[in-house]
Amino acid sequence: MSAFTLTGAEGIMKTFVAFVVFTSFCSFVLAAEESCFNDVVRACKTTNKMSQFPIACSAKYGGIEADQEYLQKYVNHHFIRSFEYLLMSTHYANYEKNRLGFEKLFRDLSDDTWDDAIELIQYITKRGGEMNFNLISEDIRSEELNGNNFELYELQSIAKAMDIEKKLATEAFQIHEDVCRKNDKFYDPEISHHMEEEFMPKHRDTIRKLAGYTTDLSNLLKGPDSSLALFFFDEYLLKQ
Amino acid sequence: MKTTVVALCVFLSCSIAIGSAVLQCEHKELDIPKEWKDMVDPCVHSMRGQIEEELKAAMQYMAMGAHFSKDTINRPGFAKMFFESASEERQHAIKLISYLLMRGELTSRVSELIKRNLAPKTTSWVTGVEALKDALKLEASVTKKIREVIKVCEDNPTKYNDYHLVDYLTGDFLDEQYHGQRDIAGKVSTLEKLMEKHGALGEFLFDKKLLE
Repeated sequence: MSAFTLTGAEGIMKTFVAFVVFTSFCSFVLAAEESCFNDVVRACKTTNKMSQFPIACSAKYGGIEADQEYLQKYVNHHFIRSFEYLLMSTHYANYEKNRLGFEKLFRDLSDDTWDDAIELIQYITKRGGEMNFNLISEDIRSEELNGNNFELYELQSIAKAMDIEKKLATEAFQIHEDVCRKNDKFYDPEISHHMEEEFMPKHRDTIRKLAGYTTDLSNLLKGPDSSLALFFFDEYLLKQ
Repeated sequence: MKTTVVALCVFLSCSIAIGSAVLQCEHKELDIPKEWKDMVDPCVHSMRGQIEEELKAAMQYMAMGAHFSKDTINRPGFAKMFFESASEERQHAIKLISYLLMRGELTSRVSELIKRNLAPKTTSWVTGVEALKDALKLEASVTKKIREVIKVCEDNPTKYNDYHLVDYLTGDFLDEQYHGQRDIAGKVSTLEKLMEKHGALGEFLFDKKLLE
């Protein structure tokens, strides 16, 4: 009788210990997932007035923390290009060049890159990130070493715009790759989707448009009436 | 002998073909009279400087917009106002550029007009009212710089008073500056009074008002 009771008590004890271990394990797992909630619970209980805002309640999730730097650089590149296009537009608007069509082409590119930069800042903050206006890539920084000239002839200026647009387009691809394919720490299809929706089609269309212009302009400039051709081409650009 | 002559002919024709380009990308030097260009150097120089000042102000407003867009700050009304101000400052710079172009300037050194590094100095503010106060100080400094451009263009070592430019800056630019400053000052006053008694609620309500 006593032997049975002892085994019974032992069994109950073991079951109880197992139950405690199991529930504490469950609550630990659940606690890790609900860290914003736990922070809030803790904050609501504390009587210390100097306690901080619950940090796990930011909008950050997925790859934004790791990828933020590249998005910030992308914004700054857009600002740089916006000002460069503005300079090219200014050059064509002076009385010596007097190409109002080319002025409009580069002014529109400047306005587009400016608006894209603002939109991207709003996107970064939507994902819980912040903006840093000091970061630019080494590649862009090294452009300054060769000296930047924005007072170019017509075909050269369209060629320069094409190179700028391709650089912006390729950088969008790199950001896309970074958050999806290249790393195994996180997978963020939202950032890559944003790149796909907001940037890639625009770049594709602009690059195609500029490529068409270089084709037409090269053919026009080969003929005997290159200056007349340029005049008409400029008028055509004004209507676009 | 014959092969040498043939080789020489081929070489000459090739070099001529390379020498005269197929694509006429450039045009000849123009000969345009210059008497109509009557802006003096000190005035042009200070106008060029003012273009960059306007763009620097635009980037400072951009930093304010970025700060108030953050989730930990969450003031979309302030953010909207500051992003709009940033684009407006850029439009001011474009207006100044257009004026210089009208007067026949900016035919050279266009590449030097805008520096690459226009990163703003301040990028975070404790409250909305602090940012608005900074905005007011920013506008006041831009106004002061426009006044300095006016001074240079009105009275300089060459003793040339550029009536039209001074009139344009006074009537157009200064007018907009003073109206803008009055608007921001009113906002600072309203918000500061709200914050005194109602703190975060005051800023929250004011932010929603800015969204309208």
